[in-house]
Amino acid sequence: MLNDILMALQAVATLENLLIMIAGIWGGVIIGAIPGMTGTMAVTLALPFTFYMDPVPSILMLVALYKGSTYGGSVSAILIKTPGTASAACTALDGYPLAQQGKAGKALNMALYSSVTGDFISNLSLIFLAAPLAILALRVGPPEYFMLMLFALTTVAGVSGNSLLLGLVSAAMGLLLATAGEDIYGSFRFAFTEDMQAGLSVAPVLIGLFALPELIKMIVMRAAPDNETAKLGDQKVSRAEFMRSFKSILRGSSIGVIMGAIPGIGPSAAAFFSYGEAQRSSKNGKNFGKGELEGIAASESANNGACGATMIPLLALGVPGDVITGVMLGAFMIQGLTPGPLLFQTNIHEIYMLFIGMLFSSVLLFGAGKLTMRMFSYVAHIPQTLLTPTVLLLCLFGIYSISSSMFDVTVLLIMGCVGFGMFLLNIPAAPFLIAFILGPMIEDNLRRALAISRGEPGILLSSPITWVFAALIIFVVTLTVRREIHKAKERKGEVA
Amino acid sequence: MTKSLFRGILITVLFAFVAFVLIPIYVPRPAFIPGFAPPPDMWPRVISIIGMGLGLVAFCLTLLGKGEAEDPAPKSDGAPTKTLILRAFGAAAAFAGFIVILPIVGFAIGAMLLTGVCILLTGERGHVIWAVAISVLGPLALTFFFQKALGTQFPQGVLGPVIGL
Repeated sequence: MLNDILMALQAVATLENLLIMIAGIWGGVIIGAIPGMTGTMAVTLALPFTFYMDPVPSILMLVALYKGSTYGGSVSAILIKTPGTASAACTALDGYPLAQQGKAGKALNMALYSSVTGDFISNLSLIFLAAPLAILALRVGPPEYFMLMLFALTTVAGVSGNSLLLGLVSAAMGLLLATAGEDIYGSFRFAFTEDMQAGLSVAPVLIGLFALPELIKMIVMRAAPDNETAKLGDQKVSRAEFMRSFKSILRGSSIGVIMGAIPGIGPSAAAFFSYGEAQRSSKNGKNFGKGELEGIAASESANNGACGATMIPLLALGVPGDVITGVMLGAFMIQGLTPGPLLFQTNIHEIYMLFIGMLFSSVLLFGAGKLTMRMFSYVAHIPQTLLTPTVLLLCLFGIYSISSSMFDVTVLLIMGCVGFGMFLLNIPAAPFLIAFILGPMIEDNLRRALAISRGEPGILLSSPITWVFAALIIFVVTLTVRREIHKAKERKGEVA
Repeated sequence: MTKSLFRGILITVLFAFVAFVLIPIYVPRPAFIPGFAPPPDMWPRVISIIGMGLGLVAFCLTLLGKGEAEDPAPKSDGAPTKTLILRAFGAAAAFAGFIVILPIVGFAIGAMLLTGVCILLTGERGHVIWAVAISVLGPLALTFFFQKALGTQFPQGVLGPVIGL
C-alpha cells in the first residue's frame, strides 16, 4: 500500500497537475464569490474541457473547482451579505455583521482557516473512512432520510432569528414553494405558467432572497452609511480566537464529513446543522448572528468538510452526493472509469492519485484564499449605493446565463421583493432557503416511506436511527423553547 | 394594529389561501395513483395546514401578550413613512419595468436602465462617473464575457440589433 501511495505521490506532484489544481482552485474561489455564479456552474462549464485531459488531472480540476467555489461563497457572504453559494448562507449571518464592525479581514481569515481545516479533515476521512461510511449510508432508507432532514430543518428554524415560531413559519413557506413543479409521480403542482411546470430553480430563489433585499433596503431606508463598514479593518485572527473556535471547527468538520457522506444532503445542510449545534453548545451562543467568529468557523468547516466527503458515496457506491458530484460522475464516465466498489479493485492507482491530489488541493486552497482575500477585500471599500446595484447587475447576468431563462430572472426579482417583505416582518430568510433546498428530498422520502408501508405513518419511527433523530428533534425544540422563555423572562425583568 | 398582530393574521391568511384556494385549483389529483403512494396534494396540504396553525399561534400569543418582542424599526434616513412606501413601490416598479421593456430594448440595454435607475433610487449623487460606468460599461462587459466565454445568447429585443447589441 505504501508503495502505491508513493507512486501516486510521484504521479500527482508534476508541474502540470499542480497548475491544473491551482487554476481550478482560483477559478472556483472567484466564481464562488460572484453572486449568481455557483460551484455547479463552474464544474459544469469545465466538464467539456475534461474531454481533452487525462482521467486524474481532469477529476482533480473539477474537485478543485468544487472546493474553491465552496470557500469562495463565503467571501461575498461576508463582504456584501450575498452568499455566492447556498452553503455559505450561514456564514453571512455572522460574517456580514463583522464586516460592518470593520472586521471583514478577520472574518475572511477565520472562514479560510476553518475551510482549509474542514477540507483537510474531509480528505483524510475520505481516505480512511470511505468504505465503512459507505456501508452505513447504505442502511439509510426513506424513513431515516425523512427524519434526518426534518431534524436539520428544525435545527435551522430554531437557530435563525429570534423566534422558533417565525423560523418554522419561514421553513413552511420554503417547503411550500419547493412543491411547485412536477412531483415524483408526474403531477404538476402550482403550475400557474408553463415555466412553472419545471418548478423553481435554487439559484434565483437563493440569490433573490439573500442579495436583492439589501438593494431594496438601500433604496427604501437610505440609512446613513457606516464608515466602519467600508474598511477592511482588523484582519488577524489571534491564536486565542482560533483556539476558542477550534472545538466548533472540529465539530463542524465531523458534521460535514457525516452529512457529506450521506447522498443527497451535501454542504448546505451540513453548514446549517453545524451552525445550529455551535450556537446551542457555545458559551457565546447569544452573540451568534451578531458577528461571532465561532459561527463562521462552524459554518465554513462544515461546508468544506462536506466537499471531500461527498466523494465517499460517489467513489465507493457510484452514488453522487449532490449535483456537483453528479457532474463529476459524468466526468468519470467520460474518462472510462465507473465509480463504485469495483473501482477500488480495477483502478486503485487512480484512486490513490485522486486522494493525494485532494490533500494537495487543501494546501492550494489556503494559498489561493490568502491571495484572493486581498483582491476581494477591496469590495468593502466600494460605497454601498454603488455596490448593491452592481450586485444586482451580476445577479441578472449570472442567473440568466445558467439556463437562458427570463423566467428565472423574474423569479430572482420577485424573491428579492419577498425577501424584503420578510425582513420587514422579522421573518428569518435562512429556514426558508434550507427548507426550499431540502423540501423535494423531504417530500420524496416521506412519500416513498408511506408507499413502502402502505400508508402506515408508523414507518417513520420504525428503526433505531429514526428514534435517534426523533429524540434529537424533541431535544432541539425543547431547548429552543426554554431559551425563548428565558429570554422573555429577561425582557420582562428589564421592563420591570 | 401592532406588527406582531398583523404578521400573525398575514401568515394565517397566506397559508389558508394556499390550502383552500390554490391547492384545489392548481394541484390536481391524478385519476390513478399507483399502489399506496400518497396523492400529490398531500404534502402541500399538510404544510399549509401547519403554516395556518403557526400563524394562529402567533396571532393568539400576541393577543395574550406573550408574542415576540417588537424589534426596533429598521434604521432609515428619517424620511416619513409615506416616502418609504413610495420608495419601495419605486423599486418594485423598476424591477417590473425591466421585465416589461426587455422585449423591446433587449437584455443589455434593459440591464443598463435598471442599474441606472437603482443607483438613482439609492440616493447616490456623488459618484456620477462611477455610476455611469457601472450602469453602461458593466452590462456591456458582462454581455461580452458571457457571450464570448460561455456562449450565452441574451435577448436582443427590437432595439438590440439596430444598435449592435
